Amino acid sequence: MTTVQRLATRANAILPASKSTRAAWIVSLAFSLILVLLPWIVRLDGHPHADWQQFLGRFHPLAVHLPIGLLVLVPLLEIAGFFRPALRESAGFVLALGFASCVLAITLGFLLAYGSGDAGAGVSRHMAGGIALTIAALACILARPAWTAHGAAYVYPVLLACMMLALLWTAHQGGSLTHGGNYLTQYMPHGLKRLAGLDTPVENSFYARHINPILDANCVSCHGEGKTKGGLRMDSYERLMRGGQDGPVIVPGNAGKSVLIERVTLPPGHKQFMPAEGNPPLAPEQIAWIKAWVEQGASSTATTLAGVSIREGRAEPPLQPVGDYRAFEPEIQRMAQSQGAKLIPVSSKPEDGLILVTVDAASSFGDAQLAKFQPFAPFIVEAELGRTAVTDASFDTLRQFTHLRSLHLEETQVTGDGLARLSPLSQLTYLNLSGTRVTAAAAAKLNSMKQLRHVYLYNTPAQAKE
Amino acid sequence: MKQHPLCTDTEHGPSVMGLAIPAGLKQEWAALATRRQFLGRTGKVLGWAAMASLLGDRAPRGNAAPDSATPYGSAASAPLKAPHFAPRAKRAIYLFMSGGPSQVDLLDYKPNLAALYDKDIPDSVRGAQQLTGMTAGQARFPIAPSHWQFKRYGETGTWVSELLPYTGRMADDLAIIKSTNTEAINHEPAIMLMNTGNMNAGKPCLGSWLAYGLGSMNDNLPTFMVLQTKLNTKENNQPVSSRLWSSGFLSSEYAGVGLRSSGDPVLYLTDPSGVDREVRRKMLDAVNEINRQTYEELGDPETNARIAQYEMAYRMQTSVPELADLSREPQSTWDLYGPEAKEPGTFAYNCLMARRLAERGVRFTQVYKRGWDMHDNVTKILPIICGETDRACYALVTDLKRRGMLDDTLVVWAGEFGRTVYSQGGLTPDNYGRDHHPRCYTTWMTGGGVRTGITYGETDEYSYNVVKDPVTVRDFNATILHCLGIDHNKLTYKFQGLDQKLTGPVPASVVPGLLA
Repeated sequence: MTTVQRLATRANAILPASKSTRAAWIVSLAFSLILVLLPWIVRLDGHPHADWQQFLGRFHPLAVHLPIGLLVLVPLLEIAGFFRPALRESAGFVLALGFASCVLAITLGFLLAYGSGDAGAGVSRHMAGGIALTIAALACILARPAWTAHGAAYVYPVLLACMMLALLWTAHQGGSLTHGGNYLTQYMPHGLKRLAGLDTPVENSFYARHINPILDANCVSCHGEGKTKGGLRMDSYERLMRGGQDGPVIVPGNAGKSVLIERVTLPPGHKQFMPAEGNPPLAPEQIAWIKAWVEQGASSTATTLAGVSIREGRAEPPLQPVGDYRAFEPEIQRMAQSQGAKLIPVSSKPEDGLILVTVDAASSFGDAQLAKFQPFAPFIVEAELGRTAVTDASFDTLRQFTHLRSLHLEETQVTGDGLARLSPLSQLTYLNLSGTRVTAAAAAKLNSMKQLRHVYLYNTPAQAKE
Repeated sequence: MKQHPLCTDTEHGPSVMGLAIPAGLKQEWAALATRRQFLGRTGKVLGWAAMASLLGDRAPRGNAAPDSATPYGSAASAPLKAPHFAPRAKRAIYLFMSGGPSQVDLLDYKPNLAALYDKDIPDSVRGAQQLTGMTAGQARFPIAPSHWQFKRYGETGTWVSELLPYTGRMADDLAIIKSTNTEAINHEPAIMLMNTGNMNAGKPCLGSWLAYGLGSMNDNLPTFMVLQTKLNTKENNQPVSSRLWSSGFLSSEYAGVGLRSSGDPVLYLTDPSGVDREVRRKMLDAVNEINRQTYEELGDPETNARIAQYEMAYRMQTSVPELADLSREPQSTWDLYGPEAKEPGTFAYNCLMARRLAERGVRFTQVYKRGWDMHDNVTKILPIICGETDRACYALVTDLKRRGMLDDTLVVWAGEFGRTVYSQGGLTPDNYGRDHHPRCYTTWMTGGGVRTGITYGETDEYSYNVVKDPVTVRDFNATILHCLGIDHNKLTYKFQGLDQKLTGPVPASVVPGLLA
């Protein structure tokens, strides 16, 4: 009894004296208490509920932008009020509106989470943030009159700052739910990533290199720490194997019984198809890899799988645009007539460059003829010099073909002497030396040209050495 | 009105002005024509000007004046054609397996069928499909499991029949398409559909469209060449006719030029005795002059095509003997292709020749192999034809690969349809027949632009219907064009009032899953 009485007197001292203000405080406190207890009153059980809840709930992403906009305006108005007092008068109104929109967003958000069966640490964090933000906004409303009346000067600004922090954190949590936790860092510059400690080296297992990235990109936004639909988390090997509330999704050694495989291979229009909600389906080879991985025991340590080879880093570099050669058109025509070799366009887009084709002049086309094409050097992306009379001396001309991507020298007299002179050609990815006299020693120098991706030495002394 | 020079009556020709009708009518006729022409032309000119400025670079090429639409933008220069976008493949080799290879026995592995031997195929699988006259009257449709074992090959673990051990060895380099399907159930319409995009004759074939759209890379050989394989009389050969490499309504310059399978590769290419190169040149110059006069008088573009073909034939008098001279091929070539590659007209010889044509800048080479039509006696004939083709296909792909040519050469292996899982005629433990089957058949591609080491599409457990990722003939052709840098919707030619294209009026789409 005495403790209650003591608390009452304490409260009496803290609460404002005015009767109407006091009522406002009591109502506010009660409301805050309900908000705080909300997650325990109605538990998010991870099961979908009524459709109307989801229908309304899906307006949450729309409504959340109201409190963000309005509440950010409040401190701005208060600061601006130092210079223009009229602006400060509107701050209270904006704050009240912000609070009201918070309540709306929380209601819709709760309906969304409850209705669609979202549950997980991320959802909980976002909800806690929203509740804290709403309470902070309410507290600001209560503290503001005292501040404007020049009493308790520090309480309101501190509360306002707390509210802004809560806003920032809640918004980030919400963003992580919809876009995935690594949305902001995914394309962060490499150096920054290392600084932030995000660039964790991947293990060498097949799971880590191939399976986990597929799940990460396609599944974890709904089956991760943030959202955990169906109680299933796929963000780590252990959690994936544990499965969801309906049991395991992967049966090692039996792809046919693995729910995961079943769901991703349903027809895309099917109700149970995954990835759900209109997200793009997995690529056929990705499904094949997951299938093979499950069939062969779904191991977290195996580095290779029988019958599965994934060629990494095979994507060709994008084509570099060359300048517009159309101004040289009459000269290009003349060259074709006088040299027998011609420059044909890669495509109808001039920026794709020209191909030097010598097939009609092959035996009479030598280093001197090649040198005559020097004026067009920046536009030539491919030089077909196979079966021509060019020699090692051609490298001095060729090194000026700065946009050269492919160089055909098959069946020529080239010995490979001075191949290193081609190293400034940063875009040269294809080099065909088949049927030449290139030796192993000359070919070894090519190892330093990292840009080369396709080198052919068929029917050469170099190949014989291999 | 000017008459044809060969016309004997040079004075009188059919003209309104020459008819015995009242002068007033003639005047009215003249005025009508003028007014029509004036209005019609003005309207068109304005319309085209507006459209050209709206479309800019995207204006369709070819059509009325194909020669004026060059990337150089100058009508005076020679036509320089180019792909719509930077292509992955500059040329293509198409191995056409005429007759319809049996997917069930070669590449579409169905292990569960063994247990269903001689059971009837369920009606639910066959549905209301209309069958050919050859099996429509059959009382039963007993399932004939493949007579052969399948093995897994390569790092991809692809299942391939023991009939194709060499194809198995290159399985990692192929994109095997199990879901190809066609609308035609008989050879002629099906083979026309595959080659020209239309079951009826008269449309240009794939090779002609490529020659028309991409132009030539060399002056001494045709852009599009066709190699026929000698008949094997043990096999059931269906006719293959020149309309499969016809240029249809495109200029006949774009038609495929065939190399004969025996004797001279091109008939009458060698000069007769007493005619040397100089005499031949003079004769051609004289013929060309007469042709040029005819063109100036009549303006028929086919006359120009004729001049171009005479000139091509003249240059081929030197280029073809060089092409057919295999004496400088290294021993490794014969080790790879096998001894039969030395015999002109065999499939192996043609595959080697296709590689040599590709080296010499020929855009499109089509090799025809007939004999896949096995209505009975599959277990006897299929091993024969697989023995003829399996190693050669592998040799071609491997040869292109080691020579660095597979990066920019597309290789396609396809027939016009597949074969039924049920037996045509009697089914015994060691023999069966298979009828035509359009609903699914297996093809493969490799080379420039193709995503290799994959199997695309799936069929049901009877290899009867496509259950996943169907590839229609038009999608198949659109994908081939795409690998060569062509947007199938943009490569058009105006004919009979329509912008004709290879893939036809039904929407087609490039199959992204097949692209690297």
